[in-house]
Amino acid sequence: MSDIFQNTSQLYRITYEAYSKFANDVNRCVDLEEIAEVCKTHLKYLLNFRIIRMTIYQGDKFFFFEQFGTKIWFDLREESQLFPYEKELLEQGIPLITNDIPDKLIRNKIDLDSLYDPVLWGWCFNKNERKVIVSLLADQEKTFSIGDVEILKLIVDCIQAKFNEIYLKRQLAIQNKNLSEAYETIKSKNLEIETIVENQKQTIKDRTSEIVEKNKKLLHILALNSHSIREPLSRIQGIIQLFEFMDDKECRSELIPKLEITVEEMDEILKEVVDMASKDLIELKA
Amino acid sequence: MKKIYLVDDQPISNFITKKLLELEGFEGAVEDFTDPSRAFQSVIEEEDALIFLDLNMPVMNGWDFLEALKKNNIFHRTIILTSSTSKIDKEKAKEYSNVIKYMVKPMNKKKISQLSEYLKAS
Repeated sequence: MSDIFQNTSQLYRITYEAYSKFANDVNRCVDLEEIAEVCKTHLKYLLNFRIIRMTIYQGDKFFFFEQFGTKIWFDLREESQLFPYEKELLEQGIPLITNDIPDKLIRNKIDLDSLYDPVLWGWCFNKNERKVIVSLLADQEKTFSIGDVEILKLIVDCIQAKFNEIYLKRQLAIQNKNLSEAYETIKSKNLEIETIVENQKQTIKDRTSEIVEKNKKLLHILALNSHSIREPLSRIQGIIQLFEFMDDKECRSELIPKLEITVEEMDEILKEVVDMASKDLIELKA
Repeated sequence: MKKIYLVDDQPISNFITKKLLELEGFEGAVEDFTDPSRAFQSVIEEEDALIFLDLNMPVMNGWDFLEALKKNNIFHRTIILTSSTSKIDKEKAKEYSNVIKYMVKPMNKKKISQLSEYLKAS
């Protein structure tokens, strides 16, 4: 059996297969947990690393993804939580290779002493205006070389694309939820408005018919009163114009008493009319 | 000589009309009623009569009186004599073919003279 590392085409084939399996699995993921699972299983066959950390710039936030052995952390954080060397990568874009390992990166993961000749690699990939900061900690046991950068780029691309897809789906879901909520709010407001309008219509109808009713009553009062007053008045006029056709004695004996009676009646009627009108006006609240 | 009926709940009104009829030289019989239903009982017995009818009366008003005549197919000529100046009343009066005139009180010499043709002996 020949040494596999001597057979380049075979090596390529194995790498290609490992990558396509990884890419296919990532493609099938529906959430970040699933991506983490795929990375946990496949990443070690594609790359040698102690710690790999990706920081994907998204909107005004950063998506952190960190893997150490079979442990994975991911979260959405503020820019202020970037490591100092990551900020530099983001601003300057110059790849980094250093033996100066930041404590924050390895804290709670691995002792610096247990690493043999550790090297920290760092890049800021910028694809389609989307920046990804990648840092990779390797040592002599888990060696990383410049030749591995191409496969790393492919891996990062794949994860970034999936992340974007998930992120957009989430945004869409949020937007949809907001829209549905807005729609529900509008619907209920519309109902409220309709109810108000209906009430207003009814109120206007009621008020109008009330006013029409009041007007009718007022007109009725007016007509009744005018008539009641006019009746004795016309009698007085009738009696008066008889004066010229009768002598004094007749006038005294026949007309004057009738005049007195009628004037008395008219006074009574006027009093009644005033009383009634006041009463009616109070009742109508006019 | 034809008979004249005065129907008005106010006796003084009837008195005025009666006096004016006298002054106009009417010599026929004048019957005056302050109770329209009694007037109606009497007038349906007449072959012909001229009725002076008030509109605004308690219990049976002028319109009720006209309706009662109509129902009994009595078409004695009627002059409405009322203190109502209402146009509605005036229009309503036109619905009765036997109403020959609508007069607004007070009745006076001049107005009674306008009726001379109806007062002549027929």
